[in-house]
Amino acid sequence: MSEEQRPPGEEAAAQSAQPAPRPHRGPPIETADETLSERGEATAKRLAAALGADAVAAGGRGETPWARVEVGALARVLRRCRDDDALRMDMLHYVERIELDYVLASVAHNRKAIIKVDLPADAPSAPTATRLWQAAAWYEREAHDLFGVAFEGNDDLAPLLLFEGFEGRPGLKSFPLHEYEEY
Amino acid sequence: MSAEPQTDTVDMMLNMGPQHPATHGVFRMVLSIDGERIMGVRPHIGYLHRGSEKLSEHESYGQVITLFDRLDYVSNLNNELVFVRAAEELMGVEAPERAQYIRTILCELNRVASHLLFIGTYALDVGAMTPVMYTFRERERVQNLFEHVTGARMMHNYFRIGGLKEDVPGDFAERVLSVVRRLRAGVEETDRLLTFNEVYLARTRGVGVINAEDAISCGLTGPCLRGSGVAYDVRKAYPYEVYERLEFDVPVGEFGDCWDRYWVRLRECYESLRMVEQALEQTPEGPVMAPGRRIARPPKGEVYAHAENPRGDIGVFLVSDGTDKPYRVKVRPPSFCNLVGLERMMEGAYVADAVAILGSLDIVLGEVDR
Repeated sequence: MSEEQRPPGEEAAAQSAQPAPRPHRGPPIETADETLSERGEATAKRLAAALGADAVAAGGRGETPWARVEVGALARVLRRCRDDDALRMDMLHYVERIELDYVLASVAHNRKAIIKVDLPADAPSAPTATRLWQAAAWYEREAHDLFGVAFEGNDDLAPLLLFEGFEGRPGLKSFPLHEYEEY
Repeated sequence: MSAEPQTDTVDMMLNMGPQHPATHGVFRMVLSIDGERIMGVRPHIGYLHRGSEKLSEHESYGQVITLFDRLDYVSNLNNELVFVRAAEELMGVEAPERAQYIRTILCELNRVASHLLFIGTYALDVGAMTPVMYTFRERERVQNLFEHVTGARMMHNYFRIGGLKEDVPGDFAERVLSVVRRLRAGVEETDRLLTFNEVYLARTRGVGVINAEDAISCGLTGPCLRGSGVAYDVRKAYPYEVYERLEFDVPVGEFGDCWDRYWVRLRECYESLRMVEQALEQTPEGPVMAPGRRIARPPKGEVYAHAENPRGDIGVFLVSDGTDKPYRVKVRPPSFCNLVGLERMMEGAYVADAVAILGSLDIVLGEVDR
C-alpha cells in the first residue's frame, strides 16, 4: 500500500533498465527423501502426541491421517492443531458434511491431517473455527447453507450459495434431486 | 471549520454486479465506500449454483467426470484429473505410465491456456486493450491441439479412472512441440508488451496487498498465495502423477500485490512449457488404460485428493459406500477459497482499484458456485 516505499514510476524505470528476471525461491520442502506415506505416518504420530486422549479413533491412508474427536473437545483440539509446534496447521482446507471433517494443512511443515467429529443429524451444531482461520467463515456458511449445521460463535451464517429465503437443506440426502420444483 | 454546521457522514453502498463485465461472470459485491476509499466489501455468490456436488451423488463414477469439466471451465483437464485421481486412489488403481505422462502434458498446457486467458482479460480490466488479442491468439493454439487430441475444445471428458479415453493421435509429439515453441514466443511477446509497462505497473503495483500470514489464514492457494511469497505448490509439496520426475521452479512474488499475482502466473507459463518439453521426452510407449473392470465400483471408504489447478489447490473429498455411485463428493474449489481473501485485499483500497483487485484473483464462477 505505502507508495512512499515503492514509487511506481521509479521502480518501473529501474526494472525496465534491468530486465533480468527476479530470482526464484524454491518451496520449503522439509522432507525431500521421505515418501508420502512415510510422511503420513510421521504426521499421524505427531497428531496422536498432540491430541492425546481427545482422539477417540484414528486412521488414514497415504499422506493424510485422520483423528475423530468429540464435539465438546473440538474447539480445543483445533486450537492445539494450529498452535502446536510440531503440527502448526496454519491452513484450513475444508469443513465437511454432518460428520464434519476439518482438513488441515501446514504450509510450514508441509503436512496434512483430518479432524473428524460426528454431529447429531437432527440438530447439528459445532463451535466455530473462524477465530483460528479466517477461511472458516465461508466454509461454515456453506455447511450451514447446504446441511443446516449451526456454528456457535459465528454470527454471520447468511446464505452463501443459495438465495435468501430458500427453504430446505439441499445437501442432505433427504432433499430430493428431481422432484423439487423451484417455482 | 468550527463555524461549519455539524453534519453526519455515512458510508455509501455501491453495488457491483451480478451482471457486470469486469466480474468475469455472475459475481456480485456490495462495496461500502467513504469517498474514494473502500471501507468494506460483501461478496455475494451462488448465482451459478447448479448443485454439482449433489448431482454427483446421482451419477456413476464415469459420469461425474463430465460434471468436473464444468466446474472450472477454462481448465477442464486439471479438474478431470483431480477427480480421476481421487477415484483411482480409492480403488487402488494406478494409471499406466504413458497415461500419466500424457495427462501431465495436457494439464500443463491447460494451465498455460488458462493463464493466458487471465493475462489477456486482466490487462483489459486495468485498461490495456491490446494484450488480449495476443493471448487469445496463443490460447487458440492450445485449444486447437486439445480439439485434435480429445475431440472437444472445452468439456473434453478425456481422462478416465485408470487412464485415458484413448491414446493420443500419432502426430501428438510433433504438434505439442510446435505448439510449445510458438507459445513460448507468444508468452515472451506478451511479457515484453505488458509486464514492465509503466501504466500497467501504476495500476497494479502496491494494489490489493495481502501479506503471507493473512493469505494462509484465508486459505489462499495457487498464484494468489505464491504472490505473497509463500512457495506452496501441490506439485512440489505432495507430488502426484509424474511431477517428481520433472524439473521446475516455483515462482513466488514479494509483496502480495496484484502485480505479483500476475507475475507468478506469467512465470508459471514458462515453467509449464519447460515441464511439457521434459515430459514429452520421457513419455514411454505402452497402454493408456489400466487393465481391469470398465465400471468403477470402489470399495467402501473415503479419500481426500488434491492437485494444483491453475487457480490453486483443488481438493476432492470422495466418500464411497461400495456402490457404483459416489456417496458424497465434496470439492474444495480454489476460486471459492481465494475469494475469502478479497475483503482483506480491498480494505482501504480505492474504488477505481476494485476491478483490478478482483481481476487479479482470477476467479471462475463455475467453480465458485458449483
